[in-house]
Amino acid sequence: MAMALDRIRHLSLKNIAKYFVHGLAFSILFLVLSFVWVFVSAFFTTIGGIIGFIIGLVLLFLLVGFANSLVTSYLWFEVRYGFWDLFIHGFVLFAILFVVNIAITVVAASVISGIAATLVAFVIGSFVEGFVGRQVASWWSEKYAAQTTLKRFLGSSMFRYIARRLLYMIPLFIGISIISFFIMYAAGDPINIIKVGRPQITQETLDALREYYGLDKPIPIQYINWLSNLVQGNFGKSLYGGRPVNLLIGNWFWETVKLQLVSVLLAFFIAIPIGVNSAKKQYSKQDIAVTSVSLFGVSMPTFWLGLLLIILFSFNLGWLPSEGAYGRPYLWWGNPILDEIAHLILPVTVLVYVMLAQNVRLIRANMLEILRSDYILSARASGLSERTIIYKYALKNAISPVITYLGVSLGAIIAGAPMTEYTFNWPGLGRRFVDAATRLDFPVVMGITMIITVMTLVANLIVDISYVYMDPRIRLR
Amino acid sequence: MFTWTRESGSGRPRKMTSNNKEKASRRSASQWAVAWRRFKRNKPGVIGLTMVIILFLFPLFEFAFTQLGWIFPARPDPAAYTFFYEIPPKIRQPPSLENLFKQPFRFTGIFGTTSIGSDVLSDMIHAAKYTLYVGILVTAITMALSVAVGATAGFFGGWVDNVLMRIAEVFLVFPSLLLILVFVRIFTLTVGEPFWTIPPFNIQIPTGLTIVIVVVAIFNWGSNARMIRGEFLRIRELEFVEAERALGAGNGRIIFRHILPNVLSSVIVVSSLTIAYAILLEAAVSFLGFGDVNTITWGQILQENFGDARVVWWAEFFPGLAILFSVFAFNLLGDGLSDALNPRLRE
Repeated sequence: MAMALDRIRHLSLKNIAKYFVHGLAFSILFLVLSFVWVFVSAFFTTIGGIIGFIIGLVLLFLLVGFANSLVTSYLWFEVRYGFWDLFIHGFVLFAILFVVNIAITVVAASVISGIAATLVAFVIGSFVEGFVGRQVASWWSEKYAAQTTLKRFLGSSMFRYIARRLLYMIPLFIGISIISFFIMYAAGDPINIIKVGRPQITQETLDALREYYGLDKPIPIQYINWLSNLVQGNFGKSLYGGRPVNLLIGNWFWETVKLQLVSVLLAFFIAIPIGVNSAKKQYSKQDIAVTSVSLFGVSMPTFWLGLLLIILFSFNLGWLPSEGAYGRPYLWWGNPILDEIAHLILPVTVLVYVMLAQNVRLIRANMLEILRSDYILSARASGLSERTIIYKYALKNAISPVITYLGVSLGAIIAGAPMTEYTFNWPGLGRRFVDAATRLDFPVVMGITMIITVMTLVANLIVDISYVYMDPRIRLR
Repeated sequence: MFTWTRESGSGRPRKMTSNNKEKASRRSASQWAVAWRRFKRNKPGVIGLTMVIILFLFPLFEFAFTQLGWIFPARPDPAAYTFFYEIPPKIRQPPSLENLFKQPFRFTGIFGTTSIGSDVLSDMIHAAKYTLYVGILVTAITMALSVAVGATAGFFGGWVDNVLMRIAEVFLVFPSLLLILVFVRIFTLTVGEPFWTIPPFNIQIPTGLTIVIVVVAIFNWGSNARMIRGEFLRIRELEFVEAERALGAGNGRIIFRHILPNVLSSVIVVSSLTIAYAILLEAAVSFLGFGDVNTITWGQILQENFGDARVVWWAEFFPGLAILFSVFAFNLLGDGLSDALNPRLRE
């Protein structure tokens, strides 16, 4: 609380102006420096190919870090200028600003239009840049430890833990990629799929197609080619329409993320009060109702629940759209944003109900265990109010398993999306996967499988790392 | 009325009469009898068991129902489409509660007809056997795989454990529903005969559905194998295993005679939950249009009428309700069994 108050006091009129100046100066400096950088990196890339490109990227991060450090040391405080300091500083700042700027521009453009949007985005963007820039730079300010950041990090047990986890991921990744690749050969020669239903196709055409898709080479060579393309972000071309798979996936991906993010967050925050209350009054009427409803939710076929909602709310009552993510040309509720919300309501309800059931069961079970532990007893003995005990001391430990569960089940959440997305005809990854699997469009199928699996792996890693921060009782092995 | 008990200290059995007060409390009971007594006290578990038994009644009496004329015969038979061949052909909705008892009561038609004019109730009762077939066979294959892998990994440890668990992790990380869809699609393309007939009783086994079952089972053993490995790791460190080894027992004897019976209660609990999960998964696969078109399952009925849901909502409502009923039954049973068999886990 005290820290939050400090933050608010910190935002005086003078400081707001300073943040704005920081952002403005950073933008101008970055613009000037990047003008030089374009030529330098183009030179390196033509000379050195991929290595030159990497050098260019490193230069970009150094440059961003340098610009921000310069502005910060004039406006706020001294910053260290070592190579690794600048590099990591630049990388972190670049990643944050990249996301934030896109978000601001998109939101501004969807609320107001024309030159006003650009102006508003610029003003807000400058302020946010200044704020973020100062925050990031403060991690490299002189008041932090004498050691450089990198050395401190490399020596920590955390680093060793992450390194070991990354090493463990390598065989996992190889196994996953092998299974993903051999999806294509599970039914024998994949070219035969093209032959189905086309008896007039000639041998020459088949051979040409085989060569076009690179299927004439030996299978291990094909696997290595596929993998090396994949690492470079090239997922091949769709067998239907011939469009590059990574572009297709890029379009579908955000629709799924939008749907899932809203429902995961809602489910998480609704589950906390419900789970806590039913643990507080174990075996009360409310508790029994909550547990039985959530057991019901675990057993519920998602698609069926979705169907019932569609039949009730869109077919019979006509309140909500029955399918899709957008209502063009007819907009629901007369506004593009309200229209998206109208389309989100039913699928989000289905997903939230199912996830809520899991989360409530987890929180309730953890909370019951924690409320009986000794440290809660001593908190009670020292006369703290029930609210403080539960929300400040008990909840922290009760939530961490839920977060682990969320990370571990990310794959299942996204893999479960096909059912909901199919029911509501949502144009996301899951719906498109069902289409691709129906017509055996192998590059799309393999691409989506790989993306989802790698995302699950990374989410698991992030959850494991954040778990260490949340729960100090865990020892790093 | 008397029982023989063994007194501590002396090796001689002592005759006890019924007027001995200690008799009731001393009566010996096996582990299973104790578990059953505990299970009977658990109301949700008993409700789950009852629901499961009801579920088994439908396939058992399916033949009788058909012969009595209560329901129509199964799908490929033209008589199944009775409502469709009425003149004029007509899709019927379920009768309202007032109309239900006005006319002479019939079972057929109380859930309405599907969009192609077959009776929903008859289809659902014919599909019940496939639901149980899916649940039980998937669980049998999954548990066989996961017990084999989990026992090997947990008992031998070392590099065997490491390799097997990495393989299990690959299957855990994979989004199983996606892969199930693709592999089911690929393998069902190559299906020739829709049914295998087993000669002695002329039992027909649906080929496509069996492919779905095998694929579902292959992609779901990971988490169970991990659980069983954990149990094996815990039990192999206990003293009685050490004692058995000192007596000269081999690995096979220790695994099958001593550790496995201890793991059995967990296996039973997990099996019940796996049945529920398998039923749900098969319904999802069928609903997404990847199921076996020659076999009528509940998910298949949902898929067939999905496009006409605006009209025939009853053909979506009742089969879905049946799926919910059976999954709920096995989940309740699993929770009850876990309370009865693993009292350590109880609050």
